[in-house]
Amino acid sequence: MNLLKRDYIIREPLLISMLVLLTILFSALTHAYSAAYDRRRISLGQEWYAKGKQELKNSRPATAVDDFRTALVYDPGSWDFSTHLADALMQAGHDDQAANYYLGLWQRSPGNGPVNLQLARLSARKGDTVSAERYFNGAIFGDWPQDSATNRRAATLELINFYLERGDTGHAESELMIVSDNLPEDPQLHNLVAGLFGRVGDEPRALAQYRQVLQLVPQNLPALLGAGEASFRIGDYRAAEGYLTRALHVDDSNDSAKNLLAVVQSVLAINPYERGISEAEKIKRTLLLFDVAGKRLQSCGSGASSIPPYLERWKQLTSMANPHFLKQHPEETETLIDFAVSAEKVAESQCSEPTSNDAALLAIARQREMEAR
Amino acid sequence: MSAPDITTPGDGVNAANAPVHPSWGALTSRLTAQLAFNEDRFFLILAVFIGIFAGLAVVCFRITMEWTRLYLLGSALTPSPWRAFLAPSLTGLVISALIFTVFRGATGSGLNQTKAALYISNGYIPLRTVIGKFILATLAIGSGHSLGPEDPSLQIGAGLASALGTRLNLSRKKLRILAPVGAAAGLAAAFNAPISAVLFVIEEVIGHWSAGILATVVLSAVSSVVTMRLFLGSEPFFRIPQVGVIRWEELLAYSVLGVLGGISSVVFALFIGWLRPKIKASPNYVQFLCPAIAGLLLGLIAFLGFPQVMGAGYDFMDQAMHNQYTWQVLGILAGLKIVATTLSFTSGTPGGMFAPTLFIGAMLGGAVGTVEHLLFPHLTGSVGTYALVGMGVLFAGFLRAPITSIFMVLEVSGDYTIILAVLVANMFAYLISRRLQPVPALEQITRQDGLYLPALEEEREQEVLTVEDAMRPRPAIILDSQRAVPDAWTTVQATNDEYFLVRRPSNSVAVMARADLKSLMDAEDVRPLEETQTLAVVPYLHPDEDLQVALRQATNYPLVPVLSRANVSRILGVIALADIMETYRKSNRPPQG
Repeated sequence: MNLLKRDYIIREPLLISMLVLLTILFSALTHAYSAAYDRRRISLGQEWYAKGKQELKNSRPATAVDDFRTALVYDPGSWDFSTHLADALMQAGHDDQAANYYLGLWQRSPGNGPVNLQLARLSARKGDTVSAERYFNGAIFGDWPQDSATNRRAATLELINFYLERGDTGHAESELMIVSDNLPEDPQLHNLVAGLFGRVGDEPRALAQYRQVLQLVPQNLPALLGAGEASFRIGDYRAAEGYLTRALHVDDSNDSAKNLLAVVQSVLAINPYERGISEAEKIKRTLLLFDVAGKRLQSCGSGASSIPPYLERWKQLTSMANPHFLKQHPEETETLIDFAVSAEKVAESQCSEPTSNDAALLAIARQREMEAR
Repeated sequence: MSAPDITTPGDGVNAANAPVHPSWGALTSRLTAQLAFNEDRFFLILAVFIGIFAGLAVVCFRITMEWTRLYLLGSALTPSPWRAFLAPSLTGLVISALIFTVFRGATGSGLNQTKAALYISNGYIPLRTVIGKFILATLAIGSGHSLGPEDPSLQIGAGLASALGTRLNLSRKKLRILAPVGAAAGLAAAFNAPISAVLFVIEEVIGHWSAGILATVVLSAVSSVVTMRLFLGSEPFFRIPQVGVIRWEELLAYSVLGVLGGISSVVFALFIGWLRPKIKASPNYVQFLCPAIAGLLLGLIAFLGFPQVMGAGYDFMDQAMHNQYTWQVLGILAGLKIVATTLSFTSGTPGGMFAPTLFIGAMLGGAVGTVEHLLFPHLTGSVGTYALVGMGVLFAGFLRAPITSIFMVLEVSGDYTIILAVLVANMFAYLISRRLQPVPALEQITRQDGLYLPALEEEREQEVLTVEDAMRPRPAIILDSQRAVPDAWTTVQATNDEYFLVRRPSNSVAVMARADLKSLMDAEDVRPLEETQTLAVVPYLHPDEDLQVALRQATNYPLVPVLSRANVSRILGVIALADIMETYRKSNRPPQG
C-alpha cells in the first residue's frame, strides 16, 4: 500500500493494471452469473410461449394473451412472442391493443409483410381506408419469411376484396389485372380471380380465366359453371349452353346449372335478335315474347300498383300481336318487344319469382341495353 | 491606498534565462515529472473504471432481483393471490431483522443518502451500506414491495466509487467528487439512459452545475451504460408507436395531463411527508414491524385484484402503453400505486422512488389519454404516448428535475417525436407542483431527517442579482492615459473621488488613485500618465453578469468598470465592493462567492 501512497513513476501504470485485472475478474463473474440467468430466462420465455401457442390452438385467445405477455417479460425483444401476442389480442377482439403491438413491430421492420397485412386488416376493420391501403401495399411489396409470391398474391386478393366491399370496382379491377398476369397454373386460383372479375363486372376477363382452367382441367365444375354464367352475361348464349351442358354432365344434380341452362335455352328459343334468323322467325319470337310478358302481367295480377296500366296497354297491343299484321308492319315488332321488355322489368321488381322464359326475356333486355350503350 | 503592481514576470523572461541546450539531467527530471503520478489525469481514467464497476454491479443487482422475484412470486406475470399476499410481508420481516442487526445504514431510497454522503462525509459511503442496499433492495423489490431499483443502483454506484477512491488514497477533494461520479454511473446503468443520469446527478445530487466534474460524470455514465448493454442488451425500456405531427390542439390535451400530473405529484409528496414522520416517531418495535405491515397491506391490494402495483412495475407500464386497461383501471392503479409506494417507502424498506413515480405517471397518462380519445376521437397521439408523457410529468412534478424528466422520456422510449408534448406537459406539472408545494419531496425527506442539503431547485428559486443591480452610473471624469500629470491633476480637482478610471490605448481601462496622482504632482512629474508606472489595469464586467462574479473582482480592485457587451470601449458605469455589499444587504441575501 505504501507504493500507492507515493508519487512513484510506476504508480499510475500499476494502478491501471490492477484496475484492469479487477475489471477482467468481475466481468468474468458477471458474465457467468448473467449467462446462468439468461438460460433460465430464455427457457421460461419458451415455456410460456409454448403454453400460449397451445391456448391459441385450443381457441382460448384471452388466456394465450396472458401467456404471451409473460413470455415477453423474459424476452422483450422476441419478434415471435410479440407477433403471437398481437395475433392473440386480435383474436380476442382487442383490436386497439393488437394495433399498438403491430405498430411497434412495424417500426422495427417497416417492410415486414405479415405485420403490414395484419395492420391492413385492423385498419380495414376500423374503416381507415387510407391506412388500410398503405399497409396492404406494404404487405404486397414487403418481405415475407417464406413463399413470398403466394403471400403477396394473397395480400393483393385481400386488397381487392377490401375495394369490392367498399364498392370501389375501379381500383379492384386494376389490382385484379395485375394479379391475373402472374397467376401460376392453379385452377383454384384462376377460378378465384375469375370470380372476382365477375364481381367487378369484367365478364370477358372472367371468361378468359375460366377458359384457362378448362384448358388445364376440362371437367372442372366451378370453371364450367363460371364460364357458362360469364358467357350468358356477355350474351354468348350458345357458348353458355355448351358450358352448362358440360357442367351437368359432370354433375347432373347441380340446380343452379340446370336453372341457368333453362334460361339460356329459353333465350335461344325466344331471342328475336339472334343473328341469322328469318323475318318470319323473328315475328314468331316477338309474339312469343309478347305472350310471355302478358302471362307474367296476368299472373302478377292487380296486386302491384304499377301492373294495371301495363295490363291495359297489353290488351290494347294484342290487336297488333298476330303474324299477319306484323308481316305487313314489320316496324311494329319493336313496339311489341319494347312493351314486353318494360312490362317484364316492372314485374321483376313487384311480382314473384320469374319463370325461365321471364328470365330469358330480362336477359334479352339487358343485352339490348348493353348493345345500345 | 496605492494601486497594485502591474508588472509581472512573463514567460519570455524565463525563456530568455533558460539554457539553450538542456542537460541530460534536466531532460530526465522533466521526463520524470511528466511520468510521475498525476491525480487529475488518473481521475479521468478512474471515472471509466468506476463506470465499468458500477455497470457490472447494476447488472448483478438487476439479475439478483429477477431471481428473487422468480423464487418469491413465481414466473407468471401476475403472481398467484397467496404468493402476492404472503411474500412481501414475510420478506418485510427478514428485511427488518437485517436492517436492525447488520445493515443499519441501508434504509431509504439511496438518493438522499448519497447526497448526504457528498456534503457531510466528504463523499464517503461505507461498503457495508452498499452491500446492505444490494441485498435488502433485492429482497424488497423481488418480493413485490412497491419500490424501484434505480435509486439503490445510484447509491451502489456511488458506494463502489467511494470504496475504490478510499483504497486508492485519493485526495479528499477527489474523494468528494467520486460519489456523484459513481452515482451517475449507477443510475445510467439502471435506466439505460446516460444523458438523464448525468443531468439528474447534476440537478439532484451535486445541486449545481460544475464544468470541472462534468467530464468525469459523463465518462463514468457512458462506460457504465456500455457495460450494462453488453450484458443486458440495448433495447429501450418501452416501445410505443411513434407519433406523427402534433397539432396545437393536441398540445392542449397534453397540458391537461401536465396539470393533473402536477396535482398528483403534490398528493404523492404530501402523503409521504405526512406518514413518514409519524412512523419515524413511533417506538422501535413498531418501526421493526413496519416493512412487514407495509408488505401485508401491499399483499392485500394484490390479493384484492391489483397485483400490478407490486414491485417496480415496468411490465405493467408497458401494458398500459399498449392500451390494455380501461381508463377506470388505469386511474385506480395510479391511485393505488401512490398508496402502495407511500407504505413501502415510509416503512423504511430499502428501494427507490423512480420506478413507482414512472408507474404512477404512466397510469395517469394512460387514463387521461383514454378519456381524451373518448371525448375527442380525432387526437393522433396513442394511449401509449400519453402514458409515456405521463411518466415524464410525474418525474418533473414529484422529483422536481424538469430537465432530466424531458431527456428521461426520450431516452427510455428512444422516441424523439414526442418532444413537444413532453416539454409542454412536464413544464405544466413542474410549475403546478412548485406552486402547490414549495419544498420538493426529496428535500422534505432530508429535512425530516434533520439535514439541509443544497439543491438546484433551491438555486432556481433564488432571485439572481446582477452587476446592473449594484453598479453606479458612468463617472463624470475618465482620464486619458496620454494626458500629462499636471493636466490630469487639474481635471480631477472637479470631484472628490478617490479613484479614477483611466482609458488606455487598445481599449483597456486602468484605475488610478488620487493619492498617487498627488504624489506625482508633488514630485513635479510632467510625463503622460501612461509612463508613470502608477496605472493598474483592471478587469471589466458586463451589466448582466452575476453579482458573485463582480464580488470576486471588486475584492481585488478598488473600482471595476462596467462595459457594454456591444461595444467594449463604452463605459456604462462602475462598481466597487461597497456597492455590492449594499445591494446584498438590501436583498436580504448573503453573498455566496
